[in-house]
Amino acid sequence: MPDWKQIVRKKFRVVGVWSPEWTEELAGHLEDIYEAFLHRGLPPEAAFRRTVVQLNRRSEICLTLRIIQEVVMTDFARKVGLPGLLTFALSMGIAIALEMAHVQPKTILLGNGLPLSLPPTAWLCLLPFCGAAGALVSHRSGGSRLQRIAACLFPSAIMVAVLFMVFVAGFAISLFVPDSGWNWAFTVPALALWLTGQAILTAVALLPGAVAGEQIKRVRLLS
Amino acid sequence: MASVNAQIKRGSAELAVLTLLAEHPLHGYEIAKQIEAQTGGVLRFDMASLYPMLHRLERKSWVKAEWQTLLNGRRRRCYRLTASGRKQIAPLRAQWRAFFQALQSVTGFQNA
Repeated sequence: MPDWKQIVRKKFRVVGVWSPEWTEELAGHLEDIYEAFLHRGLPPEAAFRRTVVQLNRRSEICLTLRIIQEVVMTDFARKVGLPGLLTFALSMGIAIALEMAHVQPKTILLGNGLPLSLPPTAWLCLLPFCGAAGALVSHRSGGSRLQRIAACLFPSAIMVAVLFMVFVAGFAISLFVPDSGWNWAFTVPALALWLTGQAILTAVALLPGAVAGEQIKRVRLLS
Repeated sequence: MASVNAQIKRGSAELAVLTLLAEHPLHGYEIAKQIEAQTGGVLRFDMASLYPMLHRLERKSWVKAEWQTLLNGRRRRCYRLTASGRKQIAPLRAQWRAFFQALQSVTGFQNA
């Protein structure tokens, strides 16, 4: 009896996400096909050849793509991740376009010398449309209200994540590099200001897009 | 037997599988074999189409898969219909009935 598990594993080793459970399931299927051929009176070699046809190039590609799709395109990716990336891409696209048009962020120096960086007003005014686009795509993928809002606020989440990584990296460097200039009294308030000026303000500007989308949906349902 | 367009096959596959599983739990190979036999070979599943669909149905909680040891000692992943899956059969049937009636009114073809 051929080792079907080994054959399946070898065929699909390219897919790093392959699970032993799926391997066993497909191997069992091939085993049943092979035995059916043997029962029909085919010699083992012919039965084997006709069974492995199930794992031909087309099947292999289709199955691999579908497995990747199934594993990667989880509910989260479909309803939050991809719509959120769309919101992010649109907002960044607008930011780049504004920068090319020489619309710069404002930096205000506060009384204690700390800089408060504020995004351009034009960008903030356009953000609701980006938020609405993300929320709409999430809605079309069957996203719940919470998932639509999460997709809308995705750029802010990315900013917070970047801020956190910068903070952690800066702190880690300060541990190993003497005189790195790490100063808690300056760094923490500066990061808090950056968080307020960038992430929170961005979230506040994005949110009306999702809220407007919700209102439009409610009006449509009522009409 | 005339070949059936892939899109129609795909659309009808879920209904066929759910209907089959409404009778009793089956594993992948049995599902493929029974559908092929009952449709005279018109609907035929290869592994590339069967398992992603079964896993999709499982993710929708329409079917539940459990490992079972058969009489010959082999383990097979058997799929059984859930209550939620059972509820899907009637609406799916209604959709397909409406589709065939619409097609019939346009083309004048009759069901066998």
